[in-house]
Amino acid sequence: MHSRIQFMEELSRLHHDILSMGTRVEENLAKALEALRSGDAALADEARAGDGAVDAMQVTIEDRAAVLIATQQPVAGDLRELVTVFKLTEHLERIGDYASHLAKAAKRLAKEPYPRSISPLVAMAELEISMVRDAVAAFLNRDAELARACAARDDEVDASHKAFLEEALDFVRENPDKAQQGMRLIRASAWLERLGDHVTNVCEAVVFMVEGRHVELNE
Amino acid sequence: MKRERATDPFDLAVETGETSWALETKGMCVDYGAFRAVKDLTMGFEKRQVTAIIGPSGCGKSTALRAFNRMNDLIPGCRTEGQVLFHGADVYAPEVDPVKVRRWIGMVFQKPNPFPKSVRENILWGARINGYSGDEEELVEGSLRQAALWDEVKDKLDKSALALSGGQQQRLCIARAVAVKPEILLMDEPTSALDPISTSRIEDLLEELKARYTIIIVTHNMQQAARVSDRTAFMLLGDLVEYAPTKELFLNPKDGRTENYISGRFG
Repeated sequence: MHSRIQFMEELSRLHHDILSMGTRVEENLAKALEALRSGDAALADEARAGDGAVDAMQVTIEDRAAVLIATQQPVAGDLRELVTVFKLTEHLERIGDYASHLAKAAKRLAKEPYPRSISPLVAMAELEISMVRDAVAAFLNRDAELARACAARDDEVDASHKAFLEEALDFVRENPDKAQQGMRLIRASAWLERLGDHVTNVCEAVVFMVEGRHVELNE
Repeated sequence: MKRERATDPFDLAVETGETSWALETKGMCVDYGAFRAVKDLTMGFEKRQVTAIIGPSGCGKSTALRAFNRMNDLIPGCRTEGQVLFHGADVYAPEVDPVKVRRWIGMVFQKPNPFPKSVRENILWGARINGYSGDEEELVEGSLRQAALWDEVKDKLDKSALALSGGQQQRLCIARAVAVKPEILLMDEPTSALDPISTSRIEDLLEELKARYTIIIVTHNMQQAARVSDRTAFMLLGDLVEYAPTKELFLNPKDGRTENYISGRFG
């Protein structure tokens, strides 16, 4: 059936673009993380500049998915997949924004070094890079189990956020004159925590796509 | 006015038989000679709901639909087994007159088929042969209004029905079907010969008609089934594969064959 072949080809192109978008978000997040670790301002700028491409990819993918819905009128699994595309791109775009915010925070941190450890922030970002990769892979491979396992790792993100929060509040209490710096870092930690929630939402959407039922993976 | 108690067993069942389904089939099989077109169909149709039957060509959906009001009786070599229960009475019981069955279970066909008579006569014909003795003008207007056609034809009631557009002719056929006050309307691809605007009118009409009638529609157009029906049945090679609320069937079908068909992977 001709239209079915065309539909499958278009879907395959969408998959390719989603993989590109996911990879781009992952790269930006990795650059922001490296900037956080090393204080490399140029890398932080690269991470921030890369967000424009992510935004543009979202628009392109969503437009193409909308055209597919209008022209092919998908149902059942095909429809669930296209609905998931919209959710996926929206969350990836937000994740990209958080990567960009993190890069900005890394630049400030380079100018005004934090005397204590930022290892919980680094741990969160490292974990989230792999979570973004797995969430996109779960979508592309229609793998609900991978999505569930990926979402489960958000607990580790939350634990790191909590640990960093306590540490940073302690720092602010002891160094009231550095309260602004402490608050900036707390905010960065909160972004990373929210980023993990967006990955979890992607995973929930993937389970819906594969199994046709809504699940809550972020209990 | 006091009505006389029905004496015919089928009329009596219609008058007194209470069932949860508007229509129910039990082990219904339909054969064309040696070929079994519908196999062991057991299903119930909800009252005042639209049920769509979908499936690829030759799956038995139209044959099943026509079996519900004994239209297949007119086809030589066609034989029906099992039961089709209306108010608990089997429409295939030997004493039942198929004309009576069709008075309660009306049908609208794929191609509009008005009689080559005036609009008014088209409405009155069925009612008259069923012994209607009420106000004819009232019946004509009421039926045409139910079919959302009154405003378009009120000034040409005495003109030939064949002068109407295809979409109007089909609505006239619906008006003709409802004029005898049936309980169930069977529709066999009622919009496949119509343009998109006429199709949309008929689809809107179904939503209004279901307040009064149980509608069973066979359609090739899956989007139409998804739009207009409350429940959908998917048939394949004479079997009922899946029967579920429409939203469920089109979003999350349980059977892989349903998914493949509605997604266009075959058919």
